[in-house]
Amino acid sequence: MDPAGIFATSFARDAALVRTRPQQIALALFLVFLLLLPVLFGPRLLAISTLILILSVVTLGLQITTGYAGQINLGQAAFMGVGAYTTGFLATKLGLPFWLTIPLGGCSAAVFGFIFGLSAVRIKGFYLALTTIAAQALFHFFVLNLPWFGGSNGLTLDPATLFGFAFVTDTSIYYLCLAVAALMTYGAYGIVRGRFGRAFVAVRDDDVAAGIMGIDIVATKATAFLVGAFYAGVGGGLWAYFVRFVAVDQFTLFNSIWFIAMIIVGGMGAITGALVGVVVIKCIQEGFVSLGPSVVSQFPSIGGDVVFALMNVFLGSVIAAFLIFEPRGLMHRFDILKRSYRMWPFPY
Amino acid sequence: MQAEAAIRARSGLKGMQPVLTADRLRMSFGGVVALNEVSIEIGRDELIAIIGPNGAGKTSLMNCMSGFYRPQEGRIVFDGEQIVGRSVHHIARSGLARTFQGTHIFPDMTVVENIMIGRHMHMRSSILQAFVHFHWAQKEEMQHREIVEEIIELLEIEAIRHQPVGALGYGLRKRVDLGRALAQEPKILLMDEPMAGMNNEEKEDLARFILDVREARGIPVVLVEHDMGVVMDLADRIYVLDFGKMIATGTPAQIQRDPLVMKAYLGEK
Ligand SMILES: Nc1ncnc2c1ncn2[C@@H]1O[C@H](COP(=O)(O)OP(=O)(O)OP(=O)(O)O)[C@@H](O)[C@H]1O
Ligand SMILES: [Mg+2]
Repeated sequence: MDPAGIFATSFARDAALVRTRPQQIALALFLVFLLLLPVLFGPRLLAISTLILILSVVTLGLQITTGYAGQINLGQAAFMGVGAYTTGFLATKLGLPFWLTIPLGGCSAAVFGFIFGLSAVRIKGFYLALTTIAAQALFHFFVLNLPWFGGSNGLTLDPATLFGFAFVTDTSIYYLCLAVAALMTYGAYGIVRGRFGRAFVAVRDDDVAAGIMGIDIVATKATAFLVGAFYAGVGGGLWAYFVRFVAVDQFTLFNSIWFIAMIIVGGMGAITGALVGVVVIKCIQEGFVSLGPSVVSQFPSIGGDVVFALMNVFLGSVIAAFLIFEPRGLMHRFDILKRSYRMWPFPY
Repeated sequence: MQAEAAIRARSGLKGMQPVLTADRLRMSFGGVVALNEVSIEIGRDELIAIIGPNGAGKTSLMNCMSGFYRPQEGRIVFDGEQIVGRSVHHIARSGLARTFQGTHIFPDMTVVENIMIGRHMHMRSSILQAFVHFHWAQKEEMQHREIVEEIIELLEIEAIRHQPVGALGYGLRKRVDLGRALAQEPKILLMDEPMAGMNNEEKEDLARFILDVREARGIPVVLVEHDMGVVMDLADRIYVLDFGKMIATGTPAQIQRDPLVMKAYLGEK
């Protein structure tokens, strides 16, 4: 639904993402904010922002697999781990530069994800969820038992370098992550708005009709896993250069569930929803982390682990509430608001 | 062979190369025989109707032709290729389009998006090109969008092109359904009870569009339909199924006079 007075003059205009002046201005302001963020924020907020960018890449991938193609995936953290370890291995053992190791990390995660995608063909819902949990276990097993990944000690990386410049400072790594996240967001829009995005949604909503449209359901589901895992792998590569340390317990089933929570809160089947979900969940988590110690100092009897447990209870209830009251997530609510604003003063 | 020759002689096809032939199909579910030695032949540019009482096997026949069911016996040749055992998407890509009893349409997608899905099999851009989006994928998207707009115009649904299909009434949804099938540029179009649940006005509209489509595309259309008025008006030739057996075929005039049909079908109503 367009605001009154906006008429598409060509199909290209009609299909464009950013169509109105206010949208253009909002997008420009947001980009300026992201560019200036290291100046505006202190070191802790900057680190959180970098983390949000990395998690956004991973969550975008899950949004494509689960939100668009409807394939439940509880192995996204494992896919991220495959990317992080591949990046770590290629950087430490072979000395490859980051602009090779990160895409290659994405590719190896994509292969891993594709294998699970092939198994998704015959399995649905609950059993698929179990299978993807197996991805988590398999990842754990391989990392700890194969000789190249440092076992339980993990891998320690040198900073990423480009033409002699090392991404050591928080600010420089933030910009690296921002550039990659922007590219991946742009790519995600390209994918979901074209023939692949439509095929994903078709397979999700009605596989009978998808088949008769000539869509190969097997290949489409596998592709959705491949793309989603590629995103996870790229996020994992960024993580490797951000933390400069890769260990197996950074990528647990618990993390995978958080990624699911992020797309539920943000809204399934919307690229912006993935980004909003990451920001909201991460802010709540960090809120607890920073408020926790002061609460504990006020009421010493509570204890630190209670605060951590409380955070999970609270976030768990937030997600449950979303599933019950707002199952289509925040972006859907925003769309409704936007539409009624454009129709104003007519209610419908 | 004799039966085939007889059908061909009666149908007036005579040596004309058929687009689709099904030869002695047999399909049973446990004890229920849904199709029993069913043969059918569809020539270029024909509008065929398949009629028969409830449970006669009409949908089962369509499911066999489109690859959803695999008949236990018999062959189906479509456009020169034996298609029994081929996947649904393979058959669709070789040019068979089909609409379903009820609607199998994507409710959350807009009209344009639904019809664009029909273009999927003709689009070539890779996932990498989609990721980069600019130029190649975008250009392709716009080319196919133009074809979709032509269909939207043909079906007179310009005003609702950006509405989610789930919000539309049944008549319009069926029209989008037809548009989506047309976007596939099929060599044959099968429609399973497209008019069930429509009021007379909607039926007339859809009948008009089916005739328009046949004229514009010159493809054979196979219609399963209960409304005798519609069938007699539209069809060039009719097949009658009863309890899984093909009991008659011929022009509407011939069918109306056929004693077997009277007994099995018309007499019943
Ligand atoms: N998947 C299936 N499993 C079991 N039985 C089936 C299946 N599909 C069809 N049948 C049976 O085959 C017979 C023919 O059914 P079909 O749906 O082809 O009839 P139809 O002519 O399309 O009827 P209607 O006019 O009600 O749509 C019925 O007895 C039906 O119960
Ligand atoms: Mg039927």
